[in-house]
Amino acid sequence: MAKFDVKMSKSGEKLNVVLAGSVDEDADFTQLSLAGAGQIELEMTGLKSINSCGIREWIKWMSTAPAASITFNKCPKVIVDQINMVDGFLPANAKVMSFYVPYYNEEAGSEKSVLFRLGTEFTENTVSPPQSVVDDSGNAMEMDVIESKYFKFIKK
Amino acid sequence: MVKKSGISIRYKILLLLTIIPLLTLSIYLFLAIQIFESDKVAYVFDSSSNVSGAMASQIKAQLNSLLNETKPIFQDFLTNNEFTAQTNLIFTNDFSLEAVVAFRFNLNAKKFEKAAFVEKTARSVDGILLGLEKTLPQYFAELEQTGRIVKSPYHDDRLFIFEKVKGEKEGQTTVFLLIARLSEVAEMFRAQSSQRLYLISQDGTILFGPEGTAGAQIQASFPLRFLERKDTKVAQGAETVRDSQSVDWLVSYSRAGFGDLMVVSTVEKKKALGAVEILIRKSLIFFGILLAVTAIISLLASSSLTGALTALFHATKKVSEGDFNIRVKVTSSDEVGALAENFNLMAEEVSRLLDETAQKARMESELQTAKTVQETLFPETEAKIGSLSIAGFYEPASECGGDWWHYCQVGRKIFLWIGDATGHGAPAALITSAAKSASTIIERLNITPAQALELLNRSIYDVSKGRIMMTFFLAAYDQDTAELTYANASHEAPFLIKKSSDPLKKKDLIPLNEVNNPRLGQGRETKYIQTTVHLAPEDMVFFYTDGIPDVQNIAKESWGEREFIKAIVAANKDYPTANVSVARLVQMMQDHRQGGALIDDITFFVVKNDLNV
Repeated sequence: MAKFDVKMSKSGEKLNVVLAGSVDEDADFTQLSLAGAGQIELEMTGLKSINSCGIREWIKWMSTAPAASITFNKCPKVIVDQINMVDGFLPANAKVMSFYVPYYNEEAGSEKSVLFRLGTEFTENTVSPPQSVVDDSGNAMEMDVIESKYFKFIKK
Repeated sequence: MVKKSGISIRYKILLLLTIIPLLTLSIYLFLAIQIFESDKVAYVFDSSSNVSGAMASQIKAQLNSLLNETKPIFQDFLTNNEFTAQTNLIFTNDFSLEAVVAFRFNLNAKKFEKAAFVEKTARSVDGILLGLEKTLPQYFAELEQTGRIVKSPYHDDRLFIFEKVKGEKEGQTTVFLLIARLSEVAEMFRAQSSQRLYLISQDGTILFGPEGTAGAQIQASFPLRFLERKDTKVAQGAETVRDSQSVDWLVSYSRAGFGDLMVVSTVEKKKALGAVEILIRKSLIFFGILLAVTAIISLLASSSLTGALTALFHATKKVSEGDFNIRVKVTSSDEVGALAENFNLMAEEVSRLLDETAQKARMESELQTAKTVQETLFPETEAKIGSLSIAGFYEPASECGGDWWHYCQVGRKIFLWIGDATGHGAPAALITSAAKSASTIIERLNITPAQALELLNRSIYDVSKGRIMMTFFLAAYDQDTAELTYANASHEAPFLIKKSSDPLKKKDLIPLNEVNNPRLGQGRETKYIQTTVHLAPEDMVFFYTDGIPDVQNIAKESWGEREFIKAIVAANKDYPTANVSVARLVQMMQDHRQGGALIDDITFFVVKNDLNV
């Protein structure tokens, strides 16, 4: 299990937070203060997993910055799943700016994560997936999620 | 427990500490005695040789002096063929001389015959010669060889010195016999001491010696080897001899240089080496004292050591009998002390482990009881309520799980419950127990799923105080309207599977995610909303918890969501009955799992509307 790792950098009112590893009962958010930041950018590419205890800690952590404008960037599937499933995982003052959508090709066994960006592949309530996604060998790939479930957070 | 056998360590130490010095000292004593004895023998030889040499020199000087004094007497006779007044004057003034006799060789009789004599005591010479009548010819024969012989034929203080003097004419040979009384010299030989002195002739005849030995052959007492070597010119020597009584003697000898006289000094070896015996005796006493002191010190030292070891022995015996509370007193900081300290630590650790084991056994027993109790919280895995057929599967990751599912009928409605508490194990199981308790009450109320979740949420919140939460999905199927009303507390959205003439595909899975609200226990006043879907005949709903995609095989490879979704599709491709659907999915899951341990609880159940069946 990858160890939870956070790198924070502040520039004016903007706080950049890079998250990686696994969010579980051992993840300590108490040292990661979000207070005072007007704008918080979370970069989540490196997050590998999150369990129910980690979700509880995450929600508590997010609630420490109720006035900030929070953006979720490059959310991996594990985070998108939680956003969809757990009410409050994506706070009301937060917005997903980009997230990964897994694609795969059954025959070739190839996998790929395609980044969907706000304003490009999705808007506030619509999703416009790329016309085609191919693997390194040119094989057409299909979306590896149930769309009605995976994109639910966009269509709320 | 092995009992003690053989010699105690205490006595082994005692033996070791006494045998080592005993052996060392014995070897030292043996070598010291050897060296001391050799040195002593050499010393005795040296001193007795000095004595015999000194005595020999004295005798030689005295006899040569006597001869020099009597030379004028010899000359007087050779000149005058008789002893004149000059002889009488010299003879009278020499107190040691008792007689002087001159013998002339009679060519006709071919023997020596008395020619003249002087004597201090009248008629003494005649008497002496009469007594020597038989031995005189032998003496004269010896004289032919040596020219001078010294005898003591009467074994007294007198020495008979025969001196052969050749005359000017051919065949004219004169023999002078000097009879001298050497009382002082004889007395020196008779003196009693540890050292015996003998004046002997080459043939071993004792001339002077200790009382009663004069005239005897010295070989009868001492087998002297140097007497057998008659041609040797060695003036002085020493040797060790053993007499007929097996007594060893240290013998030294010195030739007097006068005739064949020799002075022999003898010392009994045992007496000479008396100091060695004293040394041995004193050494043995010293050894005895040393060994006694060593033994006492060893006993005292070993008592300290063996006392600690004995305490350890008794302590280990107690441990073998099951008493782990025994402790040994640590009295030293050496290896034994460290051993005792380690024993105490070991006993303490064993005691602690035993307590832990007992506690663990008790906890396992309690968990087993909890598991048994929790199993009563779950419904039968297959049921048929009205038009709904229900089949489910549940397996906790440990004795007690945090998943819970349930179904019940309230009036014409069939409630379907599924939830997943934070984490798993006993704490999560307690929350499921609280949920079950609350559901029992809620079932008696005619309320909607959303209202039920609100009540359930309060119950969970009050129990866990926000520490443990629970995702939950509650649906109520109205048998009259065929509508399924549901509310969700952040649980995995179940899949609605609509009956179709075509085989089921992934895209046909409809997540029931139109409404969603916070988890139970997150906030006490959380409000839940609900929505409704129509459940047509033969439609199915697949409820599950998030532990299924996380199922791992023995290589720790997760099943994954893709394979899970594919398995749902495969299991329901022909829209089977609920129990067949569950059985298929279980089989596919176990095919991947291959006996791997669960990392999370697994719960899923299928509900099928059998209205037209």
